[in-house]
Amino acid sequence: MTVEQGIEAVDQFPVGMRVLAVDDDHTCLRILETLLHRCQYHVTTTDKAQTALELSRENKNKFDLVISDVDMPDMDGFKLLELVGLEMDLPVIKLSSHSDPKYVMKGVKHGACDYLLKPVRIEELKNIWQHVVRKSKFKKMKSVVTNGESEGNSDQNGVRANRKRKDPLEEEDEEEEEQQERGNEKKPRVIWTREMHNKFLAAVDHVGIKNAVPKKILELMDVDNLTRDNVASHLQKFRLALKKITNEAKQQVNMAAANSHFMQMSSLKGLGGFHHHSPIPLGSSQFHGGAATTRHYPSNRTFAGMFPHVSSSLPRNLHNDGGYMLQGTPFPPLENLHINSNNKAFPSFASQQSSLLVAPSLVLEGHQQSSSPSYSPHLEINKRLEDWSNNIPQSNVHSEPDALGWNMFGNSTNQTYFCRDTDFGSSSAAHADSLQMKQQHENIFSPMTVAQLLRSSSANEGLFMGQQKLEDGFMASDAGSLDDIVNSMMTQQEQSSRVLGRRLGLGGIITHSKHAYDMRICVFFFLLVSMRVFLFRHKSLVLSIFWLSSSFVREP
Amino acid sequence: MDAHVAQLQMQYRNYILSLYQQGFLDDQFTELKSLQDDGSPDFVAEVLSLFFDDCVKLVGNMARALDQIGTVDFCQVGANVHQLKGSSSSVGAKRVKGLCINFKELCEAKNYEGCVRCLQQVDIEYKTLKAKLQDMFNLEKQIVQAGGIVPQVDIN
Repeated sequence: MTVEQGIEAVDQFPVGMRVLAVDDDHTCLRILETLLHRCQYHVTTTDKAQTALELSRENKNKFDLVISDVDMPDMDGFKLLELVGLEMDLPVIKLSSHSDPKYVMKGVKHGACDYLLKPVRIEELKNIWQHVVRKSKFKKMKSVVTNGESEGNSDQNGVRANRKRKDPLEEEDEEEEEQQERGNEKKPRVIWTREMHNKFLAAVDHVGIKNAVPKKILELMDVDNLTRDNVASHLQKFRLALKKITNEAKQQVNMAAANSHFMQMSSLKGLGGFHHHSPIPLGSSQFHGGAATTRHYPSNRTFAGMFPHVSSSLPRNLHNDGGYMLQGTPFPPLENLHINSNNKAFPSFASQQSSLLVAPSLVLEGHQQSSSPSYSPHLEINKRLEDWSNNIPQSNVHSEPDALGWNMFGNSTNQTYFCRDTDFGSSSAAHADSLQMKQQHENIFSPMTVAQLLRSSSANEGLFMGQQKLEDGFMASDAGSLDDIVNSMMTQQEQSSRVLGRRLGLGGIITHSKHAYDMRICVFFFLLVSMRVFLFRHKSLVLSIFWLSSSFVREP
Repeated sequence: MDAHVAQLQMQYRNYILSLYQQGFLDDQFTELKSLQDDGSPDFVAEVLSLFFDDCVKLVGNMARALDQIGTVDFCQVGANVHQLKGSSSSVGAKRVKGLCINFKELCEAKNYEGCVRCLQQVDIEYKTLKAKLQDMFNLEKQIVQAGGIVPQVDIN
């Protein structure tokens, strides 16, 4: 093809695009040929793969695009695809009546630009020129990146000018590609030694990470045999690593923020979506699993309580305790629980769990952002949850659907027992209890959902747990303590349900305990959070405060 | 004369429609027809003759492969079926294509009896289609001879 023809072809592109069509099926080949002609391409056809290979090898500039069938007798279509792609670097489109994704995948893996199904339609053929453009653009981009690196090769340029040209665009690409290849051969592999890396870091610090440009860094580093390109790739890796770390950190913060956000939305569905991918609506029926579900609360609430509130104030090393810090979502471990127990309420439990996790967040709204991102992996949490889930079958024995379901709301005694049975001391529980009592008396009827109450109650307990655990330098990092908690919770709830039932009557339990309790909890948490710094400094004060609050809570 | 042409055209139209309705042809045939223009007036005829030649060849290959009772190479049969499927779908031979799909499954299952039966059906089917399309071409010829233009049949 002469230069003029080449230029003409480019001007009218995609008209006149030269296509090589290969198919052993004569019917299809004929149809394909006609279709391509209708698209105004220049078509060469053959029914033998070998012929096609020879044709394309004969003159590498002869064709712009190859369309080849998959099943051919003399050569595997994929093999042809590879050879043409490698040797001639031409875009190859596969054609087949195999609609099996396996074949499509194979085609893609062998380097096909596209995979068309028979019977091929003219609409599809009208767009195949895009592959030619894309390929040439890609080649051009690749060469531009390294073009600056390679030195001028004027004599070679002259030689290349004498070559036959397909079209100016592609010829240019080929030149640059060759330059790039030569450039690559010359550059020796650079190994980043410790000193070099330190220099790199110093340079980056000096300019600032945002202004870190390879050129500047290179100048500052002042190392021999180091090119801008080496620095650029090293910088990229450095940035990626940084990004990874900050993303992980951001995720933690975002989770905390999202928790509070969802709580504000007062919608469990949001929570479900957040923590699960399928939101689980919380309905009253789900409370029937209440007994069982509440038993899950302790450890989760621990984590929940710990998560937003404590983490920010505590020194980081504390977080590395056996997994009390909540990392990511606890729901995978909870799902393990589903397996372990036969309780039908577990699916709902999971959603409740999410709500529980959120509950502390609501209270600690203002303090969410300060939560530290350095959470230890929740692997240990999982382990503990699994250990603890083994205790769950017991819950079935104890479950009294409705009554137990309400335990969460108005279990003043519940909390007390709970705390007493642990190493925390009664103060935390008592404090919670006092708040609950206050709420009951307040008798505020806000349109809160049962779920919210559930959340708040458990959150309360969780927070206590968390607080206490942290401040006492984590108690019970082992499953044993959790088991105790679970057991104690079980007994508490039974008792409290009875107590509440007697005192307030069925209806009263719900209304009174619901709102009053929730309010108290909120107030309590808010106070706790605002005082947390003070409290941590004066740990001895915490105990006394909790004791005081618990005594207050206990009073009806 | 015009009445005669009109009659022939009507006959032609009805015939084509019946072929579609009976499932002999599908949309791909329409596409094929649309590719025929003044530049390639015999395009459809050309493609169809290529198709039927392929049919003969492939059916022959399959019959030979299935004849070797005991050592039937189902892969070979399957490959032939696959090719026939490709061609038939490209020309719009709907029934043949449908049979090929069944045939392929039988080959994969290495169901000898099934394959033999299916091959017989394929044979009958493509020959029927060939006859029908031959009639269609004859009608077209008659129309042209009568001085009329072959109408574009709109399949809806």
